[in-house]
Amino acid sequence: MTEHAIEVHGLSKHFGAFRAVDDVSFHVETGEIFGYLGANGAGKSTTIRMLCGLLGPTTGDATVAGHSVADDPLGVRRAIGYMSQKFSLYVDLTVEDNLAFFGGAYGLSGKHLRTRMDEVLTLVDLRDARTANTADLPGGIRQRVALANALLHAPRIVFLDEPTAGVDPASRRAFWRLIRRLANEGTTVFVTTHYMDEAEYCARIGLMVAGRLVALDTPSALKTLWVPGTMLAVHGAGLGPAARALDTLAGVHAVEPFGAGLHVRVGADLGDGAAVTRALLAAGASDVSVVVTEASLEDVFLAAVATPEGPAATAAGGAK
Amino acid sequence: MSTVLETSGLFRRFGKTEALRGVDVSVRRGELVGLVGPDGAGKTTLVRVLAGLLAPDAGTVRVLGRDPSKDPTVREAMGVMPQRYSLYGDLSIAENLQFFGRLFGLRKKDFDERTKRLLDITRLAPFTERRADALSGGMYKKLALACALLHQPEVLLLDEPTNGVDPVSRRELWELLHELVAQGMGVLLATPSMDEAARCHRVILLDQGRVLADGPPELLVRELDHPVLEVLGGDRNVVDAALLAHPDVRAASPAGTRLRVVLAPGSTERVRVALAALGARMTPVVADFEDVFLARTAHHEAVAEAGAEARAS
Amino acid sequence: MNGIRLFFLRIYAVAFKEALHVRRDVQTMIMALVMPVVLVLLFGFGVSFDLDHLAIAVADQDHTPASRAVAHALETSSDLRLVGGLDSAADAEQAFHRGDAVGVLVVPRGFAAKLARGEPSDVQLLVAGSDGSTAIQVLAKAEAVIGASAARFAAPGASVSLPISVATYIRYNPEGRSALMIVPGLVAYILAIIAVLLTALAIAREWERGSMEQLFCTPVGRVEIVVGKLLPYLVLGVIAVLLVLAAGAWVFDVPFRGDLWTLAAAAVLFLIGMLGQGLVISVLARNQMIATQAGVLSSMLPSMLLSGFLFPVENLPTPLRIFSNLVPARHFIAALRGVLLRGNGFAELSGELLALAAFAATMLLIAALRFRRRLD
Repeated sequence: MTEHAIEVHGLSKHFGAFRAVDDVSFHVETGEIFGYLGANGAGKSTTIRMLCGLLGPTTGDATVAGHSVADDPLGVRRAIGYMSQKFSLYVDLTVEDNLAFFGGAYGLSGKHLRTRMDEVLTLVDLRDARTANTADLPGGIRQRVALANALLHAPRIVFLDEPTAGVDPASRRAFWRLIRRLANEGTTVFVTTHYMDEAEYCARIGLMVAGRLVALDTPSALKTLWVPGTMLAVHGAGLGPAARALDTLAGVHAVEPFGAGLHVRVGADLGDGAAVTRALLAAGASDVSVVVTEASLEDVFLAAVATPEGPAATAAGGAK
Repeated sequence: MSTVLETSGLFRRFGKTEALRGVDVSVRRGELVGLVGPDGAGKTTLVRVLAGLLAPDAGTVRVLGRDPSKDPTVREAMGVMPQRYSLYGDLSIAENLQFFGRLFGLRKKDFDERTKRLLDITRLAPFTERRADALSGGMYKKLALACALLHQPEVLLLDEPTNGVDPVSRRELWELLHELVAQGMGVLLATPSMDEAARCHRVILLDQGRVLADGPPELLVRELDHPVLEVLGGDRNVVDAALLAHPDVRAASPAGTRLRVVLAPGSTERVRVALAALGARMTPVVADFEDVFLARTAHHEAVAEAGAEARAS
Repeated sequence: MNGIRLFFLRIYAVAFKEALHVRRDVQTMIMALVMPVVLVLLFGFGVSFDLDHLAIAVADQDHTPASRAVAHALETSSDLRLVGGLDSAADAEQAFHRGDAVGVLVVPRGFAAKLARGEPSDVQLLVAGSDGSTAIQVLAKAEAVIGASAARFAAPGASVSLPISVATYIRYNPEGRSALMIVPGLVAYILAIIAVLLTALAIAREWERGSMEQLFCTPVGRVEIVVGKLLPYLVLGVIAVLLVLAAGAWVFDVPFRGDLWTLAAAAVLFLIGMLGQGLVISVLARNQMIATQAGVLSSMLPSMLLSGFLFPVENLPTPLRIFSNLVPARHFIAALRGVLLRGNGFAELSGELLALAAFAATMLLIAALRFRRRLD
């Protein structure tokens, strides 16, 4: 049992009559990158706060790094690192001063603190920025400082709550490279994000809708289960108005705007896209190109939020 | 007059940092313009100058033909949604809306109609008595947008409106935006999401205070002269490390089970040879706007760290 | 027309919103309403210039009924307290040094005999001079007591010679109660600090929470923000004035002899001035901590030292006395004392009202002018 970094059993949190988290159970493997997704207000943050020992569960329990969150929240907090959504550094201090302060808060001092500061700064590739003023650093670099902070006391599990919100694409990639490095070194990473392309980087994903965990699997398994059929990526001009023509085309399961184009999910009969192209051209679109693509996790997310009772309730066809 | 917002030669510095170095941008009526750029490129400074919250050191701003830093009446026709948390946390959703409605001098009938519609669209209607502090990030952003739209502005400035907003709400916000733009609103939207930038009529790529590119996203993708490929095979970690170290690789990122790379123009063969030694091969893929961004701003990370180094020494 | 409607609508919007903040913020409410009353009670009881129970020792070298009567008179006086008998004047030094007594009365041998003979008889009063104001009070009170008691033993026509003879006649405050002097001063002092703090924080808070950015994106003007912010705190301030005056009247029997409307006008003008001073601070400070410190210092020191609250303005060095004309608390205290104690009205206090109005107008003007609608 205890080889899992996190074990959650029937965890619930009620605020009055409102069930923010409703009977959630899952586990996270040691060294895994576990993605926790959900709509705003679905209960993600409440779950994380309970797992970090900051909020007591109403019923149920979870074991985090061997400590019960209900009985030993202090033990949990000592064993984990937590990087909150909001920027939690002192911007008027240097990178080094911030680390020294938070290290002190975790009881590190002297030579040991110095060694750990060196180690975490090396890990996040910021050794050269140690005397820089935090206020002068761009957002992406600051997030790395915040991560270094959360890692100072060498936790076995880190919780990252939307670590890349508002960070530019290049910095997001750099940040995720760090996350993979951490996981390769054996740290368990529990991460939330609203960027579905980032969710693809996770080994497994849990998806929350209205307080319940409605899906949990690897990204590719989730796609097969929740968005069966063939996904066509459609590009062209005048797609917006023409897309309505697809609603009446038999064999089309779903039409979603995706980037500047459309994602059209179809049954096996329409898999080559010819019928879709014809229908769009007939409805006034031009320069239409169709390629078969992989469904995205955004498609999964939208399907799960629309029909939380399960993938069987989505449009018929192709479900295994 | 079809241009609702126009700047020419905007300069703005903060101490030694030059945030804007000669920026010319424009937004037409019924146009949705995306503003993208690396962190610290000057996006927020530009939005603030356009909103009249900062005065430029040089250059001019015209919003509906007026200078927003000198003529406050233009605010009656302008909606602004700042990036920072800028509503009143101890006030409820209804009270925040009421306050801004009054500041814009809305008649009760108009106010009631518009609030109802905005609350429906944003699905905030059941929570009107909840304090803004108690809202989740996405709900807060939706409330901020509702506050910025109450007076039906002709020009809308949005600074990263969907940070922390989940995919479902984000989609709803975009539907609302498209509807408003179709009705003739001119919108400038700063965003870190290339996915969103690709949905704009036009995208302005800002880097280090300068406009690096300005045009429809499809056109910018078509004009991209950097090869974009997917890498298959080989040991993932070894290949990743090799790509990162290769001077011709502008960006490498996992895409599903594969790695997607953006290369320097004309360098495909060199990289192919280097990867072959590691047992990996490459196939070309269709570029998207994110590839454009990564290719054009690839120097950024290095520059930021060089800056940090300079300060460190 | 529509412009005027919008002007007032925006002021109303800002004031309404500010009132919501105040209503939700228990600390502000307590600071504005409970603190002044608590402070007046604390200060009113604690800071009294009337010294009761001054410790006096007696060295009776005469041992006669007359000398004992003098000692007894001291003992029964409400102002003085007999702490013990000494043998000689030499012991007085010891008593002072240990702090046992602040005064020693020496009744010399032959005191009663001289009195009976109708000769001038002397008593010696030794006073510890280390505390000037206490010494003077001891002198005055002992004199009165001894004079009264000794006279009963003196032969007709004889006199008891005493060091000083004081005859004072005090109008408006015949009992010389310092509460009557202190309460008006306290009212001004406390309201000055609280009013400045209330508004000093109000705008700094908008900067800190980031809402100023959104506010500046709307058509609301500087004057509208300044006036709108001021109104709810003015209402709070007026309620605080009424509470404090009620506490003064009830607990310390401070009378109300003058014109209510004059007092109301003075209070409102004073409050606007102090609230305006807070606005000026918060317009310049942008951060609640600096605003708090600047607010407390700039209101507390002048209102305490240059207002006539603790030291008469007439006793200040000339440059400070001239400067004190710029301190609103000085004029407000004068107006309060005028209305409460002297029964004054508009006619007598027009100068003070004018000074208060001028200060208020200046502060609001500076606040509106210095308040830049910019983030830089």
